[in-house]
Amino acid sequence: MKYNTVKAYMIKEFKELVRTKLIILVYLLPSMIVIIFGYGIRLDVTHARLIIIDNDKSKISQMLSSKFEHTKYFDTIESNMNEKQALRRIKQAKTDAILIIPNSFEKNLLKGQKSELGVFVDGAFPTRGTTIQTYIEGTILSLVQKVLQAKGIQQKKLISINNRNLFNQSMRDENAIVPGIIGLVLLIAPAIIAALLIVKEKEKGTIFNFYASSLSKNEFLAAKLIPVFLLHSLNIFILFLIAVYLFNIPFRGNFLLYWLASELYILVSISLGMLISVITKKQIVAVVLTIIITVIPGFLYSGIIMPISSMDGVSQVEAHIFPVMYYNHIVYDTFLIGQGFHSQINLLYLLILIIFSFVLFSAGRILLKKEMK
Amino acid sequence: MADLEVRNVTVKHKNLTAVSNISFEANKGEIIGFIGADGAGKSSLMHAIAGIIQFNGEISYNKYVYHSPKEAEKIKADISLMPQGIGLVLYDTLSVEEHLEFFADIRNINKDAKFLAYKEKLLHMSGLSNFTKRVAGNLSGGMMQKLSLICALLHRPKLLILDEPTTGVDPLSRIELWEILDTIRKEEGTIALVSTAYMQEAEKMDKIVLFDEGSIIAQGTSKTLIDSIRPFTYQEITEYKEDIITFDKHSYSLTPQKYEKSEPNLEGLFFINALKNNKTLPIVDIGQRKSSDEIPAMIMQAHGLTKRFGDFIANDHVDITLKSGEILGLLGANGAGKTTFIKMLLGLYPIDGGELKLLGKTIKNANDRMELKSKIGYVSQHFALYNDMTVRENLLYFANMHKIPLSSALQRIKRYSQELGFDKYMDKFPTEIPLGVNQRFSIAAALLHEPVVLFLDEPTSGVDTIARAQFWQILHKLKKKWGISILITTHYMSEAEYCDKVVLLKQGKKIADDTVKNLHKLHPEAKTFEDIFLTYFKEKQ
Amino acid sequence: MKIFFIVFSKEIISFMRSIALVAVILYSFTADIYIAGAGMQIRPRNVAIGYVDNSGGGISQKILSHFHQPEFINPKAFTSQQALSDAIFNKEILVGLIFSSNFEKAYVNGHNTKLDVLLDATAASQSFTTLSYLQNIILNFEKIDIPITIKSHRLFNQNADDHSFMALAELLSIITLLTVILTAMVFVKEKEEGTWDIMLLMPVNPKIIILAKSASQVFIVTIGVILSLGFVVFGAFDTPLNGSFWSFILLTLFYGFSSAGIGLFVAAVSKNIMQVAQISIAIMMPLIFLSGAWTPIYAMLPIFQKLSLISPLRYYIEGSESIFYRGTAFIDLLPYFGGVIILGIILYWYGFKKIGNLF
Repeated sequence: MKYNTVKAYMIKEFKELVRTKLIILVYLLPSMIVIIFGYGIRLDVTHARLIIIDNDKSKISQMLSSKFEHTKYFDTIESNMNEKQALRRIKQAKTDAILIIPNSFEKNLLKGQKSELGVFVDGAFPTRGTTIQTYIEGTILSLVQKVLQAKGIQQKKLISINNRNLFNQSMRDENAIVPGIIGLVLLIAPAIIAALLIVKEKEKGTIFNFYASSLSKNEFLAAKLIPVFLLHSLNIFILFLIAVYLFNIPFRGNFLLYWLASELYILVSISLGMLISVITKKQIVAVVLTIIITVIPGFLYSGIIMPISSMDGVSQVEAHIFPVMYYNHIVYDTFLIGQGFHSQINLLYLLILIIFSFVLFSAGRILLKKEMK
Repeated sequence: MADLEVRNVTVKHKNLTAVSNISFEANKGEIIGFIGADGAGKSSLMHAIAGIIQFNGEISYNKYVYHSPKEAEKIKADISLMPQGIGLVLYDTLSVEEHLEFFADIRNINKDAKFLAYKEKLLHMSGLSNFTKRVAGNLSGGMMQKLSLICALLHRPKLLILDEPTTGVDPLSRIELWEILDTIRKEEGTIALVSTAYMQEAEKMDKIVLFDEGSIIAQGTSKTLIDSIRPFTYQEITEYKEDIITFDKHSYSLTPQKYEKSEPNLEGLFFINALKNNKTLPIVDIGQRKSSDEIPAMIMQAHGLTKRFGDFIANDHVDITLKSGEILGLLGANGAGKTTFIKMLLGLYPIDGGELKLLGKTIKNANDRMELKSKIGYVSQHFALYNDMTVRENLLYFANMHKIPLSSALQRIKRYSQELGFDKYMDKFPTEIPLGVNQRFSIAAALLHEPVVLFLDEPTSGVDTIARAQFWQILHKLKKKWGISILITTHYMSEAEYCDKVVLLKQGKKIADDTVKNLHKLHPEAKTFEDIFLTYFKEKQ
Repeated sequence: MKIFFIVFSKEIISFMRSIALVAVILYSFTADIYIAGAGMQIRPRNVAIGYVDNSGGGISQKILSHFHQPEFINPKAFTSQQALSDAIFNKEILVGLIFSSNFEKAYVNGHNTKLDVLLDATAASQSFTTLSYLQNIILNFEKIDIPITIKSHRLFNQNADDHSFMALAELLSIITLLTVILTAMVFVKEKEEGTWDIMLLMPVNPKIIILAKSASQVFIVTIGVILSLGFVVFGAFDTPLNGSFWSFILLTLFYGFSSAGIGLFVAAVSKNIMQVAQISIAIMMPLIFLSGAWTPIYAMLPIFQKLSLISPLRYYIEGSESIFYRGTAFIDLLPYFGGVIILGIILYWYGFKKIGNLF
């Protein structure tokens, strides 16, 4: 390894990254995504738009309405419109749910006679629909039970659920999402830049400088990848600060583990990008390919949307093929759980990340040829 | 045993054989010139020697024998390759100074006083001393070439492989570059393999290797090669005959003619070879143009045209007029503002000052240009072609964009492809064919709509001798038959002689505007136009 | 018109010549969407449950018997609370139930009864839903003697099919991504290679060339959409289509032009492909976020709600969901068409001005 040569090449790469303004991509993009998604994504359904058609206008029906009004989960509109009009509002996507209270609701209830409440939920977005439905049903049932108990009609006491949310007591979305997003951006951002590095020179012609010089493959790759690696290493800290200070995510684990895993993960991402850069001939193909194979699996297998353990057979296998799952396990551990190096699984996953970077890097290195095609 | 021996080398690109079974040798301190038509295999052989492409056969350098790029790794520290293509190996965002730093570092050069002096010398010789801070992306084509060349020379390579290093470089700089080359081979004992399209350069080389269709058809010193064609070279013959080719004041024929002989130059090699292969130049016959619009007497009038890029003034109050049926040569060193001027004429750059009249119409904004578009043809310095379409498809596309009816479009494409000699490349992609061929077919593309005026920005750079001869024939025929007017920039000073009038630009200012004849009268001591050019640029620098 | 057609076909030919690009596009529209649809499952599935039962069985076992496939894996018994929480720490268990020793007694005697639940809240969405499932199970367990029926209708996607929904959401994102990038690349490539100068000098209105070029990319994407609908969205996932197929295609076309407009904008402001990559990602990320694909518009911060008005994807996603699931009538779709078209026109106007003119 000719140290000076590699250093010079690296300095050139740094300069190019700065002057082509690619440095903005390096720093702006990850932070921007974390901030936007951290503030933006809400897994909990709040402010669902509910139309209440109260045909009873009794005390109990009013109680029911006001109960819906006073939760953060619903923004209610009481309306006299008929069912058909209300359904049209759903079709226009102007409301998410309709609750229809029948006209002798109070009377029947006090008499112990059955009455039927109608609930219509927009199921276009399935999870949201299911959640809204569960909330509405739960709200109605608990109110009715309370009313009946108060009136002495029903004696039985209730089972109340006393839930303790481990690792994320307040059930904050940010706590659940932000660490996962770090895993996503540290997969995408370094890969895209690494993917452009070599193919760019192939398209422009400057690759001749490598072909024709005595620079070895290792030196060339070191010169290409180390700058990206170093630049992105800083992101590990930036993203950490954003998570902890902007989003107030607790950090309960071992920082060394977080740092080590992140560096390894960046290495995996860069090796993947480099492999793409070596096998493609055009920048456009390299860019699209990188985005397609990082963004979607990055989301899917990040564990943000669903835990890996809940996946189907095939998806389970796929999740294990992508590195994001391993990294995210460690990141969630360091932020929220805090087992650190004591956990066998963390150590195993760290090892798996090393294997990933090694395999991807070797594949790229073997396929890189120092001659014209 | 010679220091560099190439034995039975064959290079294939996919199924196409680029060079077959080539052998030659070279010794320390020699400059070997590779000449030949575009696509003859010069570049492929250079790539093989540089060890960046697979080949069959063997090459030995300094007694080290290699058969593949892998084996060539060991000697790459001694080699320097400058591939063909303007600015190909430069990084757009790095400055001249940073390029030198970079190339010095990747070659692991010790930056001692000796190196710094050498670097200064190279910078000075290339005329880039004042531009060290400028980034490569903002250099003119010629400056890029010079920078690429000095980057290749920086580590004092023992085996220097230069693929058309002087294409697009102005005459003054070419002379300087040759001085650099000559010094370095004397000092370092470098073997230099240089391909060139400038035969004046080839004459300075120790040995010349002439390529044709993948084989070497002749090699020897410039003198022996010139001697070999002396019997066939005559003074300019005005009479037309099947077996005579005339170009640049010489006529060539294999059969004895009754005319007076003349002293041949290397360009004659190509014509003689063409005659030997029965490839006489097809007679260029330009049909009458379809449209018979009135052509105004004044095609282009520029008064005080000015263009600034920040603090840099690219064109400083330039006055140029182009009359109907006139061929105007725009000459100047690299970076003198020629391309900028043409781009202003076309509306690709906004005009910062002055007045412009095109075909009698004052140009104030883009709308004024609309109806003129079909009357203007343009060929840019970097031939602008679609790389993912074949030559035929490119031409058809351009024809369609000009709204030429399909039948006449096909006819014209066929005619141009034959006349400009690229018919065998019609179904190839621009990336697969040599630079010169690409340039020829961009010229064809600019002629498809039979324009009234042509703006040509270095259309002949890197184009081989025969193609240039044909190209100028075409221009003159066009002028005669169509009354077309042409504004052309070129670095071949011999071509200036074909222009009715020449304008010399220096650092954005016009310094001469006259006919070639008058300029010769002004400078009676000059033998060729190149001498005149050099007096203008040397004395006032 | 002829020029339009010629430019259009030229771009299609160029596209087809890049086999790698065709392959990537095909992959995006088929396998990629399939993976997204098949893998995505937002409802709880196979949730691992553990419990500690000190109550002596009976009611606790009755409650536990409600946790079954496919949502839950059969509950696993732990002997102590410590063992249970260790399992949660190692992510073996997502939800832990603790039945205290007086649980059964209190319930039977009609006292207030508490059920302790431990949740791994790192997977917040799963935890939320699991919790509400749990609540429902317990409510169901008790409500036998409540004199009301709630008749719930989950409209448009009765069985809450996540697969088809995710496949569709993925398709819409892919459409955005590819249209923007492909269009931007087409223009920047010409700028880089200098052919764009030549095009400007042709006796053709550059607007036509710009329109034709972007139309070709929209066409490529539309073909991809149709393939994807046929093979994946309808073929593999049986997505319902309650509205009109042609409304969707029409909306897709208009939306395609809007996103091509974004591509044009990106091309107009960038000099090379590197910049295209970076600017389009910087634009697309917020765009996708502001579209309501991840979080409903009404649940966003007010400032984001305002910003979402300038995201064409917002109109497209809501419009497409309406067509596929809600079966909305064409007249009610007009606002979506309007939004997409107006944004498209503004973007084109800028593109024309920026790169479609000589000086």
